Amino acid sequence: MADLHRADVLVSCRHGRTPELVTALRDEIERRGLAEEIRVVETGCSGFCSVGPVITVRPEGHFYASVQPADVPELVEETLVKGRFVQRLAYKEAAGRKAITRYEDLPFYAKQMRIVLRNCGMIDPRSIDEYIAVGGYEALGKVLTSMTPDEVIAEIKKSGLRGRGGAGFHAGRKWEATRRAKGDIKYVIANGDEGDPGAFMDRALMEGDPHAIIEGMIIASYAVGSHQGYIYVRDEYPLAVENLTLAIQAAREYGLLGEDILGSGHSFDIRIVRGAGAFVCGESSALMQSLEGKVGEPRAKHVHATDRGLFDRPSCLNNVETLANVPQIILNGADWFASIGTERSKGTKAFCLVGKVRNPGLIEVPMGMTLKQIVNDIGGGPPKFRKVKAVQTGGPSGGCIPASMLDIPVDYESLTEAGSMMGSGGMIVLDDRTCMVDISRYFLEFLKEESCGKCAPCREGIKRMLEILVAMTNGTAKAGDLERLETLAKTVQTASLCGLGKSAPNPVLSTIRYFREEYEQHIKDGYCASGACRELTAYVIVDEKCKGCGLCIKVCPQEGISGEQKQPHYIDQAVCIKCGACYDVCRLDAIKIVPKAAVSLGGNGGNGHGTPAATPAKDKPGAAKGKA
Amino acid sequence: MAKITITIDGKPIQTEEGQTILEVCRKNNIYIPTLCYHPVLEPYGACRLCTVEVTRHGWPSLHTACTHPAWDGLVVRTNTAEVRAVRKTLMELFLSRTPNVPLIQEMAAEYGVTEPSYPVEDPNEKCILCGLCVRVCNDMVKAHVLNFSSRGVDRKVGPPFMEKTRECIGCGACTIVCPTGAIEIVLQKNAIYAAKPLGPTAAIYVPSLQAVPRVPVIDTDSCIRFRQRDRSNGEIEDACGACQMLCEANAIDFTQQDEILELNVGAIVVATGFQMWDSTKLSQYSYGKSPNIITALEFERLSNAAGPTGGQILTADGVKPERVAIIHCVGSRDKNPNAHEYCSRICCMYSLKQAHLVRDKTHAEVYEFYMDMRAFGKGYEEFYERVQEEGVVMVRGRGAEVQVLPSGKLRVTGEDANLGKLVAVDVDMVVLSSAIEPPADAQKIAQLFGLSRTPDGWFAEAHPKLKPVETNTDGVFLAGAAQGPKDVPDTVAHAGAAASMAVALLNRGEVTISPQVAVVDEKFCSACKTCLNICPYAAISFIVEDNVARVNEALCKGCGTCVATCPAGAITGKHFTDDQIMAQIEGLFRVPELVEA
Repeated sequence: MADLHRADVLVSCRHGRTPELVTALRDEIERRGLAEEIRVVETGCSGFCSVGPVITVRPEGHFYASVQPADVPELVEETLVKGRFVQRLAYKEAAGRKAITRYEDLPFYAKQMRIVLRNCGMIDPRSIDEYIAVGGYEALGKVLTSMTPDEVIAEIKKSGLRGRGGAGFHAGRKWEATRRAKGDIKYVIANGDEGDPGAFMDRALMEGDPHAIIEGMIIASYAVGSHQGYIYVRDEYPLAVENLTLAIQAAREYGLLGEDILGSGHSFDIRIVRGAGAFVCGESSALMQSLEGKVGEPRAKHVHATDRGLFDRPSCLNNVETLANVPQIILNGADWFASIGTERSKGTKAFCLVGKVRNPGLIEVPMGMTLKQIVNDIGGGPPKFRKVKAVQTGGPSGGCIPASMLDIPVDYESLTEAGSMMGSGGMIVLDDRTCMVDISRYFLEFLKEESCGKCAPCREGIKRMLEILVAMTNGTAKAGDLERLETLAKTVQTASLCGLGKSAPNPVLSTIRYFREEYEQHIKDGYCASGACRELTAYVIVDEKCKGCGLCIKVCPQEGISGEQKQPHYIDQAVCIKCGACYDVCRLDAIKIVPKAAVSLGGNGGNGHGTPAATPAKDKPGAAKGKA
Repeated sequence: MAKITITIDGKPIQTEEGQTILEVCRKNNIYIPTLCYHPVLEPYGACRLCTVEVTRHGWPSLHTACTHPAWDGLVVRTNTAEVRAVRKTLMELFLSRTPNVPLIQEMAAEYGVTEPSYPVEDPNEKCILCGLCVRVCNDMVKAHVLNFSSRGVDRKVGPPFMEKTRECIGCGACTIVCPTGAIEIVLQKNAIYAAKPLGPTAAIYVPSLQAVPRVPVIDTDSCIRFRQRDRSNGEIEDACGACQMLCEANAIDFTQQDEILELNVGAIVVATGFQMWDSTKLSQYSYGKSPNIITALEFERLSNAAGPTGGQILTADGVKPERVAIIHCVGSRDKNPNAHEYCSRICCMYSLKQAHLVRDKTHAEVYEFYMDMRAFGKGYEEFYERVQEEGVVMVRGRGAEVQVLPSGKLRVTGEDANLGKLVAVDVDMVVLSSAIEPPADAQKIAQLFGLSRTPDGWFAEAHPKLKPVETNTDGVFLAGAAQGPKDVPDTVAHAGAAASMAVALLNRGEVTISPQVAVVDEKFCSACKTCLNICPYAAISFIVEDNVARVNEALCKGCGTCVATCPAGAITGKHFTDDQIMAQIEGLFRVPELVEA
């Protein structure tokens, strides 16, 4: 049992250099003989990735950002011995450079509503006692002692909880169907196979609050009449596997798993099954195949898994985030949950806010918050000099929502209507330096790798779509390619076997829908306005704007820019690798992105310095300039 | 099963529950293209070509007919513009993957796709990854040899690690289900398929196409189900069974066993026929050294429409021969101890027929090496004339030797007696008109029925002119080639005669036997059993209980051999006793007493 301590030092998260930091802290505290009174707690992800590792000292609530092992002696001395705040390590708001010292005051958290992630970064995920101390397993007690399975299902249905894995099927209805299905043996399965690039909600949850998932599963098992559960976790999440394993062991020791849970007569146990990391195994039928020990390939689902799923028995499969919501709904009541969110999408949703924002991280917001609020208020908006161009939601199966539509509320229906989807909660902010064609290409490349290859439209179709997109990004596309791409995308969407294939064209179709002219530019003009498609791009310096500051000369990795001070500079096209460093660094907007073809033809894009005639390849740039 | 009604292309169809939409369509002759479907395998839903529009609860959407259950009240449209558009795009994708597979080209053309729409990576690619071979190998054959490896665009079909595996039983099921011909069985030397193109028949086949009733049998040596059961020592009990699944009459019974029937009969017709003489016994013909040296019987299989080439006459390389030699009297009319002295009698005419077939089907040059042409019989000589007119080259003289040349060609040498010269001809195929001979177990049958055999081994008839179907054992008759080489009309005539004799015997209801039979005086029988072996009619049996030999009077012909042989003098011929004979002799030689007039 936890002893009483004077202070808790919460260190989050457990990735990166955090282990060194924790060792340094413990050593320092030990050295000063404070080990008896101060405890260092390694928590799960607190979500504020951009300033990690973060340290919160309780009970004071001091919040330190980006702490390095070298900062430890000062931090211990000042905060833990003298009780003072170390200003140097305070989080400073990007806009105002105002130091914020307390966790509660952070704007990053202020707009969020943390239900699922409430314990992440707050407790030691390896201690069942800490979970119980914050109200854990209370919902389970309530369910087992005072509710019938039908009441539990009614409560979940009333709450309006929908699947957090992406499709948004009503969890209560799924439970009800499983309960009604014929069969003695039923399974409860938690889907922790999070495969979207850039998404880590489920991971954070499994690592940071495993007991919430387990509690949700036990409640689900009671409701549907199951005695065996599985948690499917990808093997790339070793810490999640470890923490879940420890949590299951602890729950068994406390009689929360196993025979006759809490004397209620209900028995349930959980096994962890590690997936081999195939994206398609997040799809329910493929996941069940994989659980059965077969190759994770989807099968036709005209008969629902709730009737015939794992081992052909009724199976209730929920995302781990869905399950982690369950205890809170039971504790606080369906009405409370239903009061959060929109008409049809209730509660909150965790997102991984990444890409071109100042505060990327793991967030949880009530449904119905607009994308703009998320990007600007929580994410802190795009970095300096950049504009938000679009927000990509739903991972590789989702779509891009243009900046003009950022006022749409985040809920299942609105996102689908906009051509994207909720997905499992990836949210990538794209700025004006992102090419939408290139983004489509990127996602299709991922999907090409991850398509299981079973059905022809997905396997062959994605490959061909990618070929067209690659042609667009390298300037070999032909007229009519866009139309072919659209036809192909629609066939892949309608004809594919599983969700992966059916949603694979979403990135393409949504970007064509909102950024059609960008595609046309690529094909007709061989021009990529963002400069991301390097084979289409040339950077030139506009003489009139260049003040000859030399900033670009410094950043050019190729040493390909030259010029006298206070004289317009010059880019040697022969060595330029189109990295865009000069473009990003130029404060005067003097560097321009032009089609590569325009430069080699001595075209209209630049100051003439870029034309081949004026570029005696490796000669002295100065001489070349003289000629020009 | 409950009846349901589904509407397909506007037509209401009553059917039974528990089928897929595709199955209902197939049964009602509604065409839906498929590539990954096979009636004996679980639906897979990979090629997506069977996509149709399914309306349920008022919502139309596209589904694959092979996986979608036919539920009551469904409205299915199989050929809407949207469906066609999907299928067209799919065919574009397939044709770009496998541009040179005729089936794919054909199906793509149905949707107006004639050229690959996307860059072709490998023009020789044939596999469309439909998974039929994988499923048949795992679900039906249960050999678990083929499976997919890698994922997505790298997906491949093959055995584990793409290595040869002994788990493959070479059943060829994968090659049969493969719609695009992407799997080939590579023959190893001396493997069971080495005799290609005279490969084996299917494991279930009709042994005699003319038989009534025409019932197929299962060859348990090559049937996958039995092979897998034997290989696994009974562990794999339910491999394949495709025939059982597909037989609508439900007539396949894997539990049937060979039976021995014991019947009491009044007459027996021995019609055990002949066997082909083993052509390897005379090495000069090189039989077995080249797949293109075949016997006449193998030629018959080759030119049979149900044969391995569908009736085409092809060499082992699968091409039409340009020159063919037919050698008569191989193993017949030959004093070599490995061969037979007699004329096999049928070869001349079938060789002429085969020469005619080769000319007719391949226009190849045909050389007939013959000693003399035995074209007796009605219309036979005329046929011989006709074949000669067809341009068959007749070489009078025994084909002396067949050599396999390094090029694979075959050189036939012989003496042309008409020219008085040695001749040689290089040909692509040699047909040996091999002798026919009595079955190897003829002696067993002879002993069983008490038949005798002529020196050439055929069963002996009772009299060469007057009793051509009877044998020395009453009630046992001979029919056809069991008695000696015969062609079909002679065999039919002979068999008819045997049948009539048997019926005549049976119709009488009783048999008349000669009163002159041997009888054993059991008091004197010393149980030496000498008589048992010498009785040509197997009429004497030994009675163990009484420890004496006893004669079956119905079988005994009264020949007297046993009487003369019996060391104890215990056997006498009734009405032919020593006393009687002596009395007759005495009577013969008695000087007649002169009667005084």
